Amino acid sequence: MAELNEIIHQPVRLRIMATLVTLEPNDEVDFIYLRDLLDVTDGNLGAHLRKLEESGYIAVNKTFVERKPRTYVSATEAGRKVFKEHVAALEAILKSK
Amino acid sequence: MNVSPTEAEEALAAIQTMAQKTRHSIASGSAYISLIITGIVWLIGFTATQFLTAPLIVWIWIVTSIVGSAIATIIGIRAGKRVRIASSAVTGKRIVTFWVLLFLFASAIVAVAHPTDGKQITLLIILLAMIGQMGMGLLLSFSATWWTVPVAAVALIGYFLAPDWFYLWMGVLVGGTMIILGLYIRVRWGKSWLS
Repeated sequence: MAELNEIIHQPVRLRIMATLVTLEPNDEVDFIYLRDLLDVTDGNLGAHLRKLEESGYIAVNKTFVERKPRTYVSATEAGRKVFKEHVAALEAILKSK
Repeated sequence: MNVSPTEAEEALAAIQTMAQKTRHSIASGSAYISLIITGIVWLIGFTATQFLTAPLIVWIWIVTSIVGSAIATIIGIRAGKRVRIASSAVTGKRIVTFWVLLFLFASAIVAVAHPTDGKQITLLIILLAMIGQMGMGLLLSFSATWWTVPVAAVALIGYFLAPDWFYLWMGVLVGGTMIILGLYIRVRWGKSWLS
């Protein structure tokens, strides 16, 4: 049976993962794009991204584009798997209502 | 970890909303730019076509098209840096192939139909461009294909109901419709692209 994931269930992290999992595997989004899409502050998003990165659910790619630093974020394979299981667990709770 | 059915329902709704918002945002990233710029170019070009004479009209179309394409390219490149698509090279080839084939088919259609006046040529090109935009949307699984229908509808209404004012109609109403639709998409889904 699919299990709920405490790290992913936090509302901001849930929305981050929902966004990243919607993209194709290996596609990545810019930090600013993600911040605006989620409507959160830099600090808030940074903290949640760190937590997800430490858990191995997302990959953070810091790079330079035209000499400007940019941070790109993508969901890892493990992150996609855990997120899928989390969604299945949520659906199972609803079905058992 | 305990989650009540109400919490589960809210979480699933949040996931669905976010997935939809992401898809719309990615689709609108390119759609609204081309809509607003094409709308402005058409507004200026067609209004000039209605009231001015040949040599000047040609120059107005050339200048507005070049400036519009340059602005769209710059904004498009900026927007492309926000989301890096791993398969963009393959997608790029598909896009180029699609537009080349459509151009060839469109040329064949125009040659066979042999339109006699500028209004017929204009409407044929617009309808084929709208078919192309819709095809692109479906090809790339974008959800922002719906805007081609009102644009084509307003153009057709002008062609049949206001032939004497067709170019002005195209400029103000069709160009205006594109600008308004572009702004609507920008406000509704495209916030993240240019910030």
